[in-house]
Amino acid sequence: MTTTPPILPTYQAKDFKSDLKPIWCPGCGDFGVVQGIYRALASVGRAPHDIAFISGIGCSSRIPGYTTAYGFNSVHGRALPIAQGIKLANPDLLVLVAGGDGDGFSIGGGHVPHAIRRTLDITYIVMDNQIYGLTKGQLSPTSKRGLKTVTSEYGSLEAPVNPLLYVLAYGANFVAQGTPADMAGLADVIEQAIRYPGFSFVNVQSPCVTFGMEGQQVKAHRATMKTLASINHDPANRLAAMDLAQQYGQSLHTGVFYKNPDPPPTLDGQVRERQRQLAEKAIPRERILDMFVQK
Amino acid sequence: MDDLVIGMAGSGGDGIVSAGESLIAAAAYEGYHALMTKSFGSQVRGGESSCRVRLSTNRVENVGGALDVAVALNWEDFLKFGAELPVSGNTVVIYEAKTGVAPEAIPLVGVAPTEVFAVPIGDMAKQAAGSDKAKNTVVLGLIAGWFGIAREAILRGLRKKFIKKGEELVAANQRAFEMGEQFAREHPLKQPRMMKRPDEKAGKKLLTDGNDMCAAASIFAGCEFFGGYPITPSTEIMQFYTREVWKYGGAVLQAEDEIAGIGAALGASIAGKKAMTATSGPGLSLKTEIMGLASIAELPLVIVDVQRGGPSTGLPTKPEQSDLFAAAFSAHGDVLRPVLAPTSVADTFDVTVESFNIAEQYQTPVLLLSDQEIAQRKETVDPIDTSRFKIVDRRKPTATELSDYHRFRNTEDGVSPISHPGMPGGNYQGAGIEHNERGNPTASGRVHQAMSEKRFRKLAPLKRRTDLFKVEGNPDAALALVAWGSIAGVCREAFLRAKGDGLDVKLLVPWLLYPIAEEVYRDFFASVKAGFVVELAYQPQLYRILRMFVDVPAGIQPFNRSGANPIQPREVVAQLRNASLSLQQPAMPPSSEV
Amino acid sequence: MSPTPSIDFTKLTLCDALDLATIIEEEAKERYEEFAHQMELHHNPDAAAFFLFMLKIEALHEGRIAGRRRELFGDAPRNVRRELIFDVEAPEYHEVRSTMTHREALETALRAEKKAYAFFDAAMKHVADAEVRSLFSELREDEIEHAGLVEKELAKLTPDSKIKAEDVEDEPIAH
Ligand SMILES: Cc1ncc(C[n+]2csc(CCOP(=O)(O)OP(=O)(O)O)c2C)c(N)n1
Ligand code: SF4
Repeated sequence: MTTTPPILPTYQAKDFKSDLKPIWCPGCGDFGVVQGIYRALASVGRAPHDIAFISGIGCSSRIPGYTTAYGFNSVHGRALPIAQGIKLANPDLLVLVAGGDGDGFSIGGGHVPHAIRRTLDITYIVMDNQIYGLTKGQLSPTSKRGLKTVTSEYGSLEAPVNPLLYVLAYGANFVAQGTPADMAGLADVIEQAIRYPGFSFVNVQSPCVTFGMEGQQVKAHRATMKTLASINHDPANRLAAMDLAQQYGQSLHTGVFYKNPDPPPTLDGQVRERQRQLAEKAIPRERILDMFVQK
Repeated sequence: MDDLVIGMAGSGGDGIVSAGESLIAAAAYEGYHALMTKSFGSQVRGGESSCRVRLSTNRVENVGGALDVAVALNWEDFLKFGAELPVSGNTVVIYEAKTGVAPEAIPLVGVAPTEVFAVPIGDMAKQAAGSDKAKNTVVLGLIAGWFGIAREAILRGLRKKFIKKGEELVAANQRAFEMGEQFAREHPLKQPRMMKRPDEKAGKKLLTDGNDMCAAASIFAGCEFFGGYPITPSTEIMQFYTREVWKYGGAVLQAEDEIAGIGAALGASIAGKKAMTATSGPGLSLKTEIMGLASIAELPLVIVDVQRGGPSTGLPTKPEQSDLFAAAFSAHGDVLRPVLAPTSVADTFDVTVESFNIAEQYQTPVLLLSDQEIAQRKETVDPIDTSRFKIVDRRKPTATELSDYHRFRNTEDGVSPISHPGMPGGNYQGAGIEHNERGNPTASGRVHQAMSEKRFRKLAPLKRRTDLFKVEGNPDAALALVAWGSIAGVCREAFLRAKGDGLDVKLLVPWLLYPIAEEVYRDFFASVKAGFVVELAYQPQLYRILRMFVDVPAGIQPFNRSGANPIQPREVVAQLRNASLSLQQPAMPPSSEV
Repeated sequence: MSPTPSIDFTKLTLCDALDLATIIEEEAKERYEEFAHQMELHHNPDAAAFFLFMLKIEALHEGRIAGRRRELFGDAPRNVRRELIFDVEAPEYHEVRSTMTHREALETALRAEKKAYAFFDAAMKHVADAEVRSLFSELREDEIEHAGLVEKELAKLTPDSKIKAEDVEDEPIAH
């Protein structure tokens, strides 16, 4: 510790914690995720009122309500479009999006590629528990083949979606994975994602203690996880990231898979530029019908 | 003559629609009232195309009935448009001589027009301009010559159109035009039909279509965001936004689907901006879930549905009034969602501004129900004095309200002050889940009841908005017409004609379709013994909804048919006449007494 | 315990060390409060009552350390922040279950106390300052004392029934 007092950050983690008490099952991985988000937001240092936190529907999608940000718990699978509208309407906001694996890769899966290609500066956190929590234990798009659930009595016959590969393949410029088994690491990747200028994606292996598999609990994570740093992965190397992402479902890698060191211009930035360029061409609103006068 | 209906058809390459555009632009410039519809074959390009242009020195509100002038560049294409281009004995028929059809043998069944001209249109074009691509200009010359319309303005328009390509082309087109005029001079009509000039004071008119009007009106109303997905016949609204909205500091998103389109618009509304989406039937179905979200989260949002023939792909380029049930009722849960409908390009401005105002005032999604005809027809519009419109913005919380902010405070009028991200102290949790006044989720039946009541109560004042209903005629009339959307223009003409014929009739045109303003209808129906709710749909949807809420007099009947089967003013007049006659018969005694 | 953002123990002053200890207790106290609430919400009164008991212990401990800090250093500004630690004496979120028995709740707390002991024990190896060393050693002993308290409670319990709550509860029905 230094003896000169450090510059105290403007915000502390607790400033982002709301009075609402989570109703998640005790032990749910999502408790860790929200802690990680508090920490990351404290580090980033934006005021809670400048943050819009949008979610879909699911256990995980309750998360905005546990923060002091402007939250919006929307409908199943549609958090990304709503968040993009918010960011386009007010690029000054810090926009966070969160939800479950079903929300993001089943019903909302069609929105993901488009959110990626638009490169709006938003951060998408998926709490991937490989199961439908809120509706009580059905198969999810990330469930392992063979998994027995209430909707796969004799075991799932389908291969899972690989969220990491999915977003990498569509050209996401920031892709990371975390687990509440490593809280510091989780808070760190969320913070990096938020700071990344453009669309950033964090897959959190967030165990469902009620319907999830034994091998997907925090204890198992801790026993098997490997940080990408420890295997000297270079996050600027997209192909290496894709290689590692292939192991989704077999081995648990945490940290930043890919971070494009050369982020393309954000859409919100370009929108502002276009608005600036065209502003002077505007006919005053009250005279807009002049454009229909036959000249 | 003070009213002229021209119908023209050809193959896409003939540029017949483009001739219609030139004509109506010139008419608007001269101060005529005019209206134009276009119709195309289902080929994306190169199919047959047609247009109808109606010019008048008086207000025009519909495309009119039988044609005064029919132009056929070839008969096959002309006949494909059947009911859209009806020819009567009075029609002046002009057709391409090259078709080889003798004037006595034109392929029209059941009519024998007295004025029929086979004109070597293609040859004249080649001679004048060196290419038969100038056929449409020859047609303009013919029309200007025979009917005395807007010569100078047409030439001005042609110059404007072709000057980019050089003087030579301008001159060629002028020659083609004059050749047409000359033909008309050399072959006078048996019965001259020169159009009256518009009133000197009339002044220039605006010229646009319903979609562009809607888009422009929305920007006037303060809209800064559009999210949507292309679908005929609504797409022009999004196209307008991609050109214009940036200039006003706003943005537009062509989303990956209709759900994302309305989702993004909802997001913009959360962010505090006025926002809209536009679609047609199939897209409306996809947007329904998020409309429910907007209702419970109490977010202002305007959803435009440009109706077309349905269900599903149906008749994507034809008008129909068959989405009213969907607009009013397609919702999960207890929802009251205002539905408004314009009746013309001109009042699309008013209705769009109203839609935004209502959305903002009551923090609710509003459905603006346009239809293919209004949306895509071109219409001259008298200059609109925008200063007579009040723009409503959502109620922001005051500093005191922010000190103990309840986003969904159950105020007396049910409208709660609304904050948005970026506003210090206004932080709240919005949600699709039922919530208490603070926005916290709840499953309490008591809170749900109170919040439902609040969401309905806040909209109650809408039903007292008599300005959203246009009533004309003798208030005590025994005969009545009710019509909405594009059919209202047909009914207004029918109403005027019937009145002119001495029928005691009145007309009600609602802009506000839902919620049903019971009292407005009760008052209107008080004196009514017979009449019609006129609709362009197989199911008379407004008629049925009225019967849910209002004691509709037994003598009020639906008069309706499927979309793409235009209803003409004279048919409505005939209906009224019959109704009037039956009122004059003594009531039949019940059969048991016979 | 999760890996913790590195705290440079060699540079810790006594004031910093006291603050660090306060923060650690604060974190544990809040966690028990949350757990107690979670257990109440999920109708597990035994576990809830026990977590409230732990909350009191941690609160007392925190109060003691904070008092000493004030005595020695008044309101000199804090250099250590909550963001530096994760789950030092607080049991981790994933360790609880709505169906946990009273005994399992105690065991969770016991593990947490042992975890805290290990933290101070490991930290001491890096501490140079004599005063800080002696503080850490004291704190380490405190954790043993707390663990003892919990163990005493544990001894009072009858063995858990073979029938688990999961076996009889109405919901959830999946699996
Ligand atoms: C349109 C629609 N379909 C279905 C549902 C029901 N539903 C709610 S959450 C959910 C899936 C939850 O799983 P996931 O998204 O993985 O989130 P988790 O609960 O596991 O965090 C489903 C199917 C819904 N709310 N809306
Ligand atoms: S059901 Fe699973 S995902 Fe949902 S709160 Fe419980 S543990 Fe978490």
